[in-house]
Amino acid sequence: MSLATIVSQLFKGMGITVEIFFLTLLFSLPLGLVLSFGRMSKNGILKSVSKFYISVMRGTPLMLQLIVVYFAPFYVFGLKISSGYRFMAVIIAFVLNYAAYFAEIYRSGIESMPIGQYEAAKVLGYTRSQTFFKIILPQVMKRILPPVTNETITLVKDTSLAFVLAETEMFTIAKQIAAKETSIMPLMAAGFFYYLFNLIVASFMEYLEKKLNYYR
Amino acid sequence: MKKAIALLCAAMMAAGVLTACGGSDSGKTFTVGFDAEFPPYGYMDENGEYIGFDLDLAKEVCERNGWTFVAQPIDWDSKDMELSSGSIDCIWNGFTIQGREDAYTWSVPYVDNSQVFVVAADSGITSQADLAGKVVGVQKDSSALAALTGDASDLASTFEELQQYGDYNVAFMDLEQNAIDALAIDIGVANYQISSRGDSFVILGEQLASEQYGIGFKLGNEELRDKVQKTLLEMADDGTFMKIAEKYSDFGLTESICIGK
Amino acid sequence: MNLLEINHMKKGFDGTGVLEDISLSVKEGEVVSIIGPSGSGKSTLLRCATMLEKMDGGELKYMGEAAAWEESGKCVYAGKQKLKEIHKHFGLVFQSFNLFPHYSVMKNITDAPISVDKVSKKEAEERALKLLKQLGLEEKKDAYPYQLSGGQQQRVSIARALALQPKILFFDEPTSALDPELTGEVLRVIKELAKEHMTMIIVTHEMQFAKELSDRIVFMEQGLIQQEGTPEEIFTAPNERVREFIGKFTA
Repeated sequence: MSLATIVSQLFKGMGITVEIFFLTLLFSLPLGLVLSFGRMSKNGILKSVSKFYISVMRGTPLMLQLIVVYFAPFYVFGLKISSGYRFMAVIIAFVLNYAAYFAEIYRSGIESMPIGQYEAAKVLGYTRSQTFFKIILPQVMKRILPPVTNETITLVKDTSLAFVLAETEMFTIAKQIAAKETSIMPLMAAGFFYYLFNLIVASFMEYLEKKLNYYR
Repeated sequence: MKKAIALLCAAMMAAGVLTACGGSDSGKTFTVGFDAEFPPYGYMDENGEYIGFDLDLAKEVCERNGWTFVAQPIDWDSKDMELSSGSIDCIWNGFTIQGREDAYTWSVPYVDNSQVFVVAADSGITSQADLAGKVVGVQKDSSALAALTGDASDLASTFEELQQYGDYNVAFMDLEQNAIDALAIDIGVANYQISSRGDSFVILGEQLASEQYGIGFKLGNEELRDKVQKTLLEMADDGTFMKIAEKYSDFGLTESICIGK
Repeated sequence: MNLLEINHMKKGFDGTGVLEDISLSVKEGEVVSIIGPSGSGKSTLLRCATMLEKMDGGELKYMGEAAAWEESGKCVYAGKQKLKEIHKHFGLVFQSFNLFPHYSVMKNITDAPISVDKVSKKEAEERALKLLKQLGLEEKKDAYPYQLSGGQQQRVSIARALALQPKILFFDEPTSALDPELTGEVLRVIKELAKEHMTMIIVTHEMQFAKELSDRIVFMEQGLIQQEGTPEEIFTAPNERVREFIGKFTA
C-alpha cells in the first residue's frame, strides 16, 4: 500500500473521527447544561439522580459504556439491531459520557458566579431565565473555557475508543492498515493526524478565549 | 431549550432503534462479520477495500444467491455479541471449529489449518523442546491459546511465560524486537506475516495443533447455514473455490483447502 | 402619600433576630439616611425592603400597595404580577456596584429598560446618554466596567438604576468599597439627585454627608430604630449611644 493510499484511507477514517467529535459536542454541551441544573436542583430526587448518573458516567470506563450502549438494546430489551446502530451507539455513548463531565464543569462555573450578579439582575427586574441566559451563562462560558478546552482535546483522542465497536474511525482504520502492512507506520501517521486535529482545536479555543478577553 | 434537547436525544435513540428493526433478516443482505486485521482471510487492500480469501468466497456466495454482500469489520472480542444481536449473519474469518463445536451452527470445514510456532531465524530455536524457559506470545481467544491451555498444556508449562496479545501485528513487532522468543499462531497468518516482513523468521517444523476452519452461524440458524453451504459446495465442484484460493497462493492457502475432501 | 411604608418588619437568620420590629415611612422627595454600627441590621432592612430577602413578619407597602403582609402569624407576599409592578417603583445601588462585566457601560444601562420594561432601543439609549452626561461619564459609554475606576463604576451603577426611572432609590453603603479620593465623586452625584427631589434611602457611614443631605436620619442598633429625626435632632441627640457613635465617625 503506497503512502498516498495510507494517507487517503486515514483521511476517510478521520472524516468519521471528526463526525464523532462534532456530534458529541453538539449534543453533550447542551445536555451537560441540563444535567448540571439537575445536579444543582433543590429537588432532592432530581439532585440525587443527577449526582448518581454523573458519578457512574465518570466512574466507569468509556470503553465499557460504548459496549453497553451498543449491546444493551439486544441483550436487555431484545431489540434486533442493524449495523446502522453502530455509529449511533458510538455517538450516544460519547454524548452520555461527555455530558457528565460537562455538567460538572458547568456546575463549577455557575457556582463560582458572585451572588451580586443575581441580586443586581433581580433588583433590575430580570426574570429568572433572563438572568441566567443574559447575565450568568455568558460569564460562566468565559470562566469554564479552560476546562472545556481540556475536555475537548481529550475528546479528540477518546474518539479512538470507538474501535471497540469496530466503528471505522481513524484509529480502527490505522490498526487495519497496520495489520495488512505488518508495520506500525500507519499508527504513527494516525498519531500525527490526531495531533494535527488537536492543534486546530486548541488554536480555535485559544481564539475563543482571546475573543472573550474583551472584559474581565 | 431543555425540551429541544430531550427531543433531539429521543430522535437519535429512535433512529437507532428503527434502523435496527429495518435491515436485518430480510434475506436480501448477507452480513459477514470479520476481523479486518486478519490477513489473508480478511483485511484492507491497496484501495482501502476489505478483501481476503474468506470475503472473496462470501462475495461469490452472495452473487450466486442474489444477496447483497456486506463486509462488517468487528472487534474480535465482541464477535458473539455481534452474532447473537443480529448485527452480523455469520462469522467467516479463519474461524476455527475445534473447541467451539457447540457454540455455533457450523458449515462444513473448508480449510485445514494448523497452529505453529514462529521464531526469529537466528534464535537457535529449532524444536518445541527449545521453547522451555522462553517467553511465548499468542493472540487472546485464539486456537493457539486454546491448544496451549488445553491439549498442549504440558508444553505450555515449560514456557517462562505465555504472553497474550490483542492483535498479531503487535505480537509480531514484539517478536521482532526480541521481547518474546516465539509466537504461537495460525499457519496462514504466519505465512502472510513472513512473506510481508521478510525471511528473518522461520516456522518450526513441529506443529502445535491442527484444526479446521468453518463458517460460524448463530446457533440454530440451520436454514441460512444450509443455503450458504450448498453454494459453497457448488463452488468447490465447479472449480471456483480453488480459483479464489489461488489468488492467495503466496500465503500457502492452496495447500490447506480441505473442502470436498 | 408615603412612597414606602414599612410596618413592624421582622427578620431573623437561623433563629437570631436581626430586625426586631422596624417601622419606617418615606414620603415623596424625602432623603432618609440610615446610620448605625455594623451588625445593627441596616443592610438587612434595605435587603428586605428591596425584596432581596424575605421578611419573617410585618408589612411592606409601596405607593400604598402591599407587597407583603402578615396573615395568621405568617408573612405573605403578593402575586408574581403584582410584585413585578411594585419592583418598578424602586432601584438599588450596591456597595460593590455589581455591574455586569460582560456588558459595556451603555449596555449595562440600556439592557434592563429594553428587556424588562420593553422600552425601544432608541429611547433607552437616549435615556442612557442623558444620564451619562449628567454623571460626567459620556466618553465612557463604550468602555467595559473593568476599565473604569471604582467611583466611575459606582456612578454607572447609579445610572443603571436610574434608567428604569424608579420612584425611590436605595443605596447600600455606596462609598464603602471606594478609596477616600473616589468617595467625593459619588457623593456629589447623590447630592445632585437630592436637589432634583429624588426620593432616596441611604445606608451610610459618611456622617457629614448624611447631615448635609438628609431630611431625616434614622439611627439603628440591635435590630431596632433607636432614634429618628432631622439631622439637627440626631446630631444633638441626648441619647448617649447615638452621640458616641456619631463622635466615632466624625472625628
